[in-house]
Amino acid sequence: MSNAEKIDLYKLHKDQYVAPKKPQLVEMSEATYLAVSGRGEPGGEEFTAKIGALYGVAYTVKMTRKFAGKQDYTVCKLECQWWLDGERKNFATTDRKLWNWKLLIRTPDFVRGDELDAAVETLLKKGKEPQVQEVKLESFAEGPCVQMLHVGPYDNEPETILQMEAFAGEQNMEFHGRHHEIYLSDPRRVPPERLKTILRHPVRKKSS
Amino acid sequence: MKESTEQVYRQRILRVQMYIQQNLDRDLPLEELARESHFSEFHFHRIFRAVVGEPIKEHIRRLRLERAVSNLKYTDNSIINIAFDAGYQTHEAFTRAFKAVFGCSPSDFRSSNGTAVQRENAAGINESESVDGDIPMKVEIKNIEKMRVAFVRHVGPYDEVGNAWDRLCMTLGKAGCLGSGSQFVGICYDDPDVTAPEKIRYDACITVDESFEPEGDIAVQTIGGGEYAVTTHFGPYNKLGLTYNKLFGEWLLQNDRELRSEPCLEFYLNDPDCTEPEDLLTDICLPLKSK
Repeated sequence: MSNAEKIDLYKLHKDQYVAPKKPQLVEMSEATYLAVSGRGEPGGEEFTAKIGALYGVAYTVKMTRKFAGKQDYTVCKLECQWWLDGERKNFATTDRKLWNWKLLIRTPDFVRGDELDAAVETLLKKGKEPQVQEVKLESFAEGPCVQMLHVGPYDNEPETILQMEAFAGEQNMEFHGRHHEIYLSDPRRVPPERLKTILRHPVRKKSS
Repeated sequence: MKESTEQVYRQRILRVQMYIQQNLDRDLPLEELARESHFSEFHFHRIFRAVVGEPIKEHIRRLRLERAVSNLKYTDNSIINIAFDAGYQTHEAFTRAFKAVFGCSPSDFRSSNGTAVQRENAAGINESESVDGDIPMKVEIKNIEKMRVAFVRHVGPYDEVGNAWDRLCMTLGKAGCLGSGSQFVGICYDDPDVTAPEKIRYDACITVDESFEPEGDIAVQTIGGGEYAVTTHFGPYNKLGLTYNKLFGEWLLQNDRELRSEPCLEFYLNDPDCTEPEDLLTDICLPLKSK
């Protein structure tokens, strides 16, 4: 086992994972993720299978590295980006079958593509879900974002998002890009009213 | 009905207490006391604690010390012989233990004819720390299906079980056997209040499918299968004992259920790697005989 400290990216980038009760501005520099995309209802069949695939890959990559004595790290929490096609903006009035999503697990940037490939191969040999082949390593920077903690059922998020959007307006900013969520609680274990989720949305200066 | 269950437990434990009192001069292995109580070895120590209010090892130690007190007071036996009778190998060890309970050394005690005693807690019983005040605990009866698990046996103090988990997770992880559906289960065979730290047995288990083959020190067993009384412990693992005490002391004594002679199971519901200790969730499962 490596003697080096285990890396926890959320602790290392504390400023990016603040969970304030009021909206706050954060700056998201480039970050690397294991990622898998899809479309359709959250909690639906494809969504669930891909969460399984993503976690399978994340654990296999991490543990293979750890076994080989490479730098150890914590597998971060599940995150997800959400967006709609074209001009559509309102999730509430859009059929859930049309919701696009990208499931993410933040991963240290020293994890390489060949480590991902090896993990996928191991999982396929084990007969795990074929969706593991769709898991990619991706890096992107979201730049300035408004961020806030949402406590309660996912269905109540619109109220929190309204507060975030109003806050952006006060700063002469507007939402752009993809809505981003960081799931601090496990919905299988925690009752809906106690679920904690960090909501994040990229913002830019108002164009007018 | 409820009263009768508690009454039966109390009678069986009382019988053990009498037995202990009559046999203070010799070693009293846990197995022997469990047999005397007609409780399963897996549960006897916890039931004893629930009924009597102190761990059995502590109970025996206290009785021996208290007997030493009366020997100091009413006999001319040498202190070293009294120490031996109380189960201590050396004068120093006896003095330390005596001081801890009575606040003075055995020789001061004897020369002052007992007036040197400074005790805060006359009964010698420490009030057990409460988990969450007087909130009644939520206990559900659940049927846990049999499950196949890969496991690593840990023998040693509980705070070192991390090594077993590391080995198990690495081996399963690199084989592609860890995923979002994996369940993490601990099997606790011993009570740290009773068993010496270096002898505590614990199995770190993760559910696996039929394709997983045992390798190295990773073995496979089948666990579960049957009814369990299940309660959730909220908070750090080193406080699990408090919830156990509450489950045995509050729930078991007040419910008309008998225990199966199998160890308790702990299901770790979140990842200690990325969860603050106070947010950790653990299901404690007590095996029940079918009604």
